[in-house]
Amino acid sequence: MGGVDVGGEGGKKKATNAEINMVPFIDLLMCTIAFLLITAVWVTNSRMNADAQVPGPPNPDKELTPQTPEKVLNLHVNESDFALIWKQGATVVSEIRVPKNNTDGDIIRYPELTAKIKTEWEANGSHRDPADKKFDQAIMHSDNRTPFKEIIGVLDSLYGTRRMVKLTDGEKEFPVFNMTFSVR
Amino acid sequence: MSGGKAHGPSKHHNPHAHVIHQPGRRLMHGISLKFVQNKVMGHGKRATNSALNLVSFIDFLITTVIFLLMSFSASGEITVDKNVKLPKAENVEDIIDAPMVAVNGNQILVDGVLAGSTRSVEELGRMQKIDELFSILKNKRELWKQIQPNKPFPGVCILQVDQNVPALVVKSVFQTAAFAGYPNVSFMVGKLPKSGG
Repeated sequence: MGGVDVGGEGGKKKATNAEINMVPFIDLLMCTIAFLLITAVWVTNSRMNADAQVPGPPNPDKELTPQTPEKVLNLHVNESDFALIWKQGATVVSEIRVPKNNTDGDIIRYPELTAKIKTEWEANGSHRDPADKKFDQAIMHSDNRTPFKEIIGVLDSLYGTRRMVKLTDGEKEFPVFNMTFSVR
Repeated sequence: MSGGKAHGPSKHHNPHAHVIHQPGRRLMHGISLKFVQNKVMGHGKRATNSALNLVSFIDFLITTVIFLLMSFSASGEITVDKNVKLPKAENVEDIIDAPMVAVNGNQILVDGVLAGSTRSVEELGRMQKIDELFSILKNKRELWKQIQPNKPFPGVCILQVDQNVPALVVKSVFQTAAFAGYPNVSFMVGKLPKSGG
């Protein structure tokens, strides 16, 4: 059936053309396919980062210098809308509201919120330079009864805006915000 | 093989020769009517039995093997608690090796070990530190530090939270993990394909 041509035949001593048996070859391929299909991982899970913003212990040798607080995005998840409030310390810098329109039924997505967060970061974000390894801070305020899938939908919108960050091994894309939950 | 009927034993001089046959096609040799045999074997107009082109068949098999080998994961599937239905998201990162905290409608489990009750957190109605979860995570952190004393502790844990668990439970688990020395908390989600916009 199958054959491997290795050049012209001498015709005197031994044929240079050798035939390989196709049946065990096809058997081997079939077994490999069966093994790979059985062991294949079809469901891919991923993760979304959050940061608890736990401060480290203070350094007693270092003198504390008062620093102007950074602008922080406060994202309020309300019943019918989202409130995006930029605050610098206790001062409110800007405030906008985005209606809550879930487009995908069972899977929760807020494309309008994603777009608004992008424009808000472009207007108020503090860390934009690729050499800057710090990220802007976002605090999520939600009701205690809010289902987790809704939190993930909002987090997905928050991480929709990304920027390049220079690392020692080249540039890599990261979300512009670091999210934490508000605690009362 | 039914070649025995077509080439009867009378044709062979050797009495044992009936077990060895000349190589060649064997299928449909048993059809006694000659015109039917001709028809099905293709001596007529069109054969009912068609030969498979081995070259394209082997090409197909090799392509399938290569595709499956490339998508093969040696690390295996990360086990997700059967009572947890994960939400789905688009802007995600790859999973890393870290302690897994599963939170379903009734229980909180750390790597399969019971570490608290979701119901008791819900019933209390306010955020709280979950003591069992705290002690299990703290022990895990201390064990990690004993095993690898020269490395800085990454402080990462992954939460597998059911999509319908209320935010109160999520925040309580999140805060407990932070108290136990895991401030970098990740949420496990199902990966959605990137939308165009």
